[in-house]
Amino acid sequence: MVFSLYMLMVGASALAIQHETHTVAPENCRFRGKHYKQEFRLEGEPVVLRCPQMPYWLWASASLHVDLTWRKNDSAHTVPGEETRMWAQDGTLWVLPVLQGDSGTYICTTRNASHCDEMSIELRVFENTEASLPLISYPQFLTLSTSGPLVCPDLSEFTRNKTEVKIQWYKDSVLLDQDNKKFKSVRGTTRLHVHDVSVEDAGYYICTMMFTHESRQYNITRVVELRVKEKEEETVPVIISPVKTISASMGSRLTIPCKVFLGAGTPWTTSLWWTANNSHIESAYPEGRVTEGMRQEYSENSKNYIEVPLILDPVIREDLITDFKCVVLNTLSFQTLHTTVKEAPSTFSWGMVLAPLSLVILVLGGIWIHKRYKLRSGKAYGLTTLKTCHQDFP
Amino acid sequence: MDISRGLCGHLISLLLFLFHSETACRPYGKRRCKMQAFRIWDINQKTFYLRNNQLVAGYLQGANTKLEEKLDVVSIKPHTMFLGIQRGKLCLSCVRVGEKTRLQLEAVNITELSESRQQDKRFTFIRSDSGPTTTFESAACPGWFLCTALEADQPVTFTNTPEESAMVTKFYFQPD
Repeated sequence: MVFSLYMLMVGASALAIQHETHTVAPENCRFRGKHYKQEFRLEGEPVVLRCPQMPYWLWASASLHVDLTWRKNDSAHTVPGEETRMWAQDGTLWVLPVLQGDSGTYICTTRNASHCDEMSIELRVFENTEASLPLISYPQFLTLSTSGPLVCPDLSEFTRNKTEVKIQWYKDSVLLDQDNKKFKSVRGTTRLHVHDVSVEDAGYYICTMMFTHESRQYNITRVVELRVKEKEEETVPVIISPVKTISASMGSRLTIPCKVFLGAGTPWTTSLWWTANNSHIESAYPEGRVTEGMRQEYSENSKNYIEVPLILDPVIREDLITDFKCVVLNTLSFQTLHTTVKEAPSTFSWGMVLAPLSLVILVLGGIWIHKRYKLRSGKAYGLTTLKTCHQDFP
Repeated sequence: MDISRGLCGHLISLLLFLFHSETACRPYGKRRCKMQAFRIWDINQKTFYLRNNQLVAGYLQGANTKLEEKLDVVSIKPHTMFLGIQRGKLCLSCVRVGEKTRLQLEAVNITELSESRQQDKRFTFIRSDSGPTTTFESAACPGWFLCTALEADQPVTFTNTPEESAMVTKFYFQPD
């Protein structure tokens, strides 16, 4: 029943449920495609291929009613066949040890009274060399200057019924033992805790687990590529401009920059825009008199800023009663800053006329006063001479 | 003529004012309701990928890494966001069917979702940060958190017992 439900779940189209007692003939089997994941393994290892349409949690309830077979696409025979390295067990195909020649596409067929389904899974087996590392490695990410785990992946088929897992971790062929302060292999788990991640920690890590079958020991190897990322931090943005009111004269072009301080935060996740009376600029001014300028992202003294200017070209009276607002949003914060346009004071233009005028008057006045003074002092001089004349002629 | 145009303009602004939602994303506003890709992986290093149109979490190696799904994020309020995958064409939602709380992937464009539309609430997630990790609670299903199973290759679901260790609710979540 669970199996049928799963089949309905994975299948896009409805399947006609037939009430037959015998199993469905192979020619009526429905191919459901290739498994999403390919399996990349190293030669000499134990490999377990799980039937893609039969996840392990379904197997327990489905196993009684389902007939499961495997075959390799380049052979007509079913596997395991004669091969003692291979056997089918609990919805999986075991290959122990795996050889490069085992590479290929494996098709799993599941049949019950009413359904027959097929799915394929691809296995690629590589030689255990340095060159194989990128082809089989699992990238895992840790952030610079933080601590976090690496996990030895895809071991569940080997660890499911075990209470204790023993993993050994290597970096550059050096065993990272229990006493290592930098790397701590968490006992009984598949985790390696990396303390205070640095750029040098990046690279390939190899984790191994011993697996014993019929008193022979095999090594299971997984390669983890640690990629160290610098923390792309998000910060609470701070709008640092514009000011509350901006003066402009009618008919002129006005640019109001909205500048946002992000500090060390990334600008990528921060949106910045303008509104006019709570409407977006494009919708408020479809004719384009008021527009938003290009967004700029830049750094000053290694602090990040974003800037989006609002351009009014030309400024008209209506702008004086419009509530312009700069809006900034990221996943951490939402902030707004209002600004209004003020007409440049009218007395100012009178002043522009009066200032030179008063200067002219002042200069002219000065000249007049100077002339008058000169004239006066001239007269005084005349008088004194006259006085002396008087003295000359008593 | 001028009067009627002015009147029309006022009417438009009035309508815009009435139906305006400050932070809502509009189709013409692509630049400002910027969709941003984030890398997400759980604290056990499992990444997300699609299997039969279902979001699952597991370990990807070699050529399989191209299957990794990054989360497309549109912020609507601080700590509140829409989450999508496949360049925002499939959105994550929380849907209650009877007793069950389900994670759904719905074929809607993330940039066309609106915070103010009640029917879009199921796409809304509340982000909480604790140290380097992040949890995502569904706004439509309060108390339910996005989670992965301990075992690899299992569906991404919701849990209402985030403290229990059977499910992983803590994620690393970083701008890509």
